[in-house]
Amino acid sequence: MIEPKSLTDEERAVYEWQMWVPEFGEEGQEKLKGASVLISRIGGLGGVVAYELAAAGVGRLVLAHAGDVKPSDLNRQLLMTHDGLGKSRVESAARRLRELNPRLEVEAVAENINEGNAAALVGSVDLVVDCAPLFEERFQMNREAKSQGKPLVECAMYEMEAQLTTFLPGETRYLHELYPEKPEWWKREFPVFGAVSGAVGCMGAMEAIKVISGIGEPLTGELLVFDLGEMRFHKMKLGPS
Amino acid sequence: MAVTIRIPTPLRKFTDGKSEVDVEGGTVREIFDDVENRHGGLKDKIFDDAGEVRRFINVFVNGEDVRHAEGLDTPVKDGDELSVVPAIAGGLGSRPRQV
Repeated sequence: MIEPKSLTDEERAVYEWQMWVPEFGEEGQEKLKGASVLISRIGGLGGVVAYELAAAGVGRLVLAHAGDVKPSDLNRQLLMTHDGLGKSRVESAARRLRELNPRLEVEAVAENINEGNAAALVGSVDLVVDCAPLFEERFQMNREAKSQGKPLVECAMYEMEAQLTTFLPGETRYLHELYPEKPEWWKREFPVFGAVSGAVGCMGAMEAIKVISGIGEPLTGELLVFDLGEMRFHKMKLGPS
Repeated sequence: MAVTIRIPTPLRKFTDGKSEVDVEGGTVREIFDDVENRHGGLKDKIFDDAGEVRRFINVFVNGEDVRHAEGLDTPVKDGDELSVVPAIAGGLGSRPRQV
């Protein structure tokens, strides 16, 4: 249960325009301020999720991502910069997020999700956003989120195609139940435009905002499948929990 | 029955890059048989050795999961759209890998 936190005058000024959204208002903003979100990997997809949630005023972000910034990250990983090459990805990301929102509490974890850290990381937040490139990480985090009763926003992409859905405890199945095995052909590296990963990231962030604040209709029990190469959008029904 | 089947990006090399293919059949199984006749190799990627849809793929007719209907015996009609949706992941990525 998210405990709303009251806003300062500065925060009312910063978030004024989104508090004009019907249903959301100051009450929704207080829920965002009281919320904590774990983002698994903050590359082309998760980095945009993190940036949008930081901008929207989520109170605490936990970022999990190992490794240093490489040149091939810079076509899409918008929290990384050229002068950050060779330095920790997660520290670069935390710095960029604090520049945008100095009120944000950021926990930078220089590890990817694994068997040893998943339970504690999932347990430390209200909601999880899954942006990992490997199914082993996704399955691990989904099992933990389901076991701990945490909502999870699942964002995925390949080339110009993408998938998005939101898992809720007791209401939907989670990824490992929808897809019990990983595709044999899946590799960590795949073709990607930053504009595609960024589009999915923005939509994933909106799902998180809706679940936390209780507005709109989260994409639960349905899988949005879209192809930005052809601008085709389809919703698939996933069936009950 | 004339049905359109949506091909996911990782499998489009079997359909000459096409995202949609028009096929004929009265059930999902017959649709996949016709796809194989027109685009050899695709069926092996979708079905396992026991003839079942691989567990990392879901098949939908007009947005409804066929596993919640009659599976491969789910009937289709003219104008239906069948979607093959594999699990994908990804927020990183750099060098392309082919299926």
